[in-house]
Amino acid sequence: MTINHHPPEDLLADFATGSLDEADHLVVAVHAAQCPRCSRFIQAMEHLAGAALEEARPIALSGTFKAIMARIDEGPAEPSAAAPVPAGLPDEDLPDILRRCHFGKRRRVAPGVKLQPIILPGAGQSRAFLLWSAPGTKMLQHSHTGTELTCVLKGSFAHEGGHYGPGDFDFGDGEVDHQPLVGGGEPCLALVAMSGDLKLHGWLGRLITPFVRL
Amino acid sequence: MNAGLRAVSRPDWSGRSSRALRRSRPQRLGERPKTTVDWADLIGRVAAHGDRDAFKFLFEHFAPRVKGFLVKTGMQPDAAEEIAQSTLVAVWRKAGQFDPSSAGAAAWIFTIARNLRIDAARRAARQSRADQPTEPDDGLDAVESPETTMARRDDVTRVTAALSRLSEEQSTVIRLSFIEERPHAEIASALGIPLGTVKSRIRLAMSKLRDLLDEPR
Ligand SMILES: [Zn+2]
Repeated sequence: MTINHHPPEDLLADFATGSLDEADHLVVAVHAAQCPRCSRFIQAMEHLAGAALEEARPIALSGTFKAIMARIDEGPAEPSAAAPVPAGLPDEDLPDILRRCHFGKRRRVAPGVKLQPIILPGAGQSRAFLLWSAPGTKMLQHSHTGTELTCVLKGSFAHEGGHYGPGDFDFGDGEVDHQPLVGGGEPCLALVAMSGDLKLHGWLGRLITPFVRL
Repeated sequence: MNAGLRAVSRPDWSGRSSRALRRSRPQRLGERPKTTVDWADLIGRVAAHGDRDAFKFLFEHFAPRVKGFLVKTGMQPDAAEEIAQSTLVAVWRKAGQFDPSSAGAAAWIFTIARNLRIDAARRAARQSRADQPTEPDDGLDAVESPETTMARRDDVTRVTAALSRLSEEQSTVIRLSFIEERPHAEIASALGIPLGTVKSRIRLAMSKLRDLLDEPR
């Protein structure tokens, strides 16, 4: 797999420091898990963060070493027993990170387009979902004030920014007004995180808006 | 206590003997490190046989730094205290997952604290929405395949090489902006540059880092 499109550096940096919204974090994680180039960048940021931690001005803890050892000897507080079984997993060959997610109901939102929300209860203002689009579909043409993060999982699409295949990451912000076209002979499956006010143009956008609810 | 530590020698950790402990004494709060302590060695001892003395060194050095670091990035002291404690508990529990050939103990401990901070933020966001399923973790604890581990070790070399070629000024601006999350106005006064150039300085440093990481060895 050749990945040609990567997240911008500041997004990777915010990912590395844990400052991204949960939905955005998920899309960057899915890209980085299959992109050695970006995972190196994230490691570099973690390295710099480690150096900053090492040099941070220490603040004495109120908890003593003895108290910490007592906590350790108690064993894990929360019975980290069976992790909750992911619900609603679509029948797709998904990356491991997504296989541990909870999914909402998959719905057909337009001819050739299906959407399945990912349930992220800790998420702030962005929403994540899987989007299936049939070959030849013109996806939402839109512009918005927030951001839109996409990682292609299967198939491909193209817009003015280039051709996006599996693993490729597309970052859209307020300056972008794209109308992606799904290419090739196979459906495109993409993971998308969206935030902000979305202004949709065209028939598909109007159909999808109530489902994306942004 | 040092004598007790020195006596312990693990064959499977033999490449990293107790040199570190002979080289240095435990640091007191607020003291600048005088010598380099081999933290990886201490984590190895905790992993190998639950060495409490080794863990005490780690606790005394890192717990106050994690707290200080979190407070510096804007966290309330109470919350920072809780995460600093939980971070060290996790250091004890996950010591076996630490790879001594990785980016280093401080970076590893940072990622633990970061993940705990993410969890805490999500838990807080969830509290108003009861009965929701818990979120998945981000896979950082997942067991790696040997190929992945090899690739990561290879990465460590590249990452270290790239960072060593980043200028002091550039790593500082990245640190201030992304790691310490300081506002641009503060960065401007810290570096003595006009506010208007902070943004371009950050962007330049980030693309420089990307370029250095992309260079073939
Ligand atoms: Zn990438």
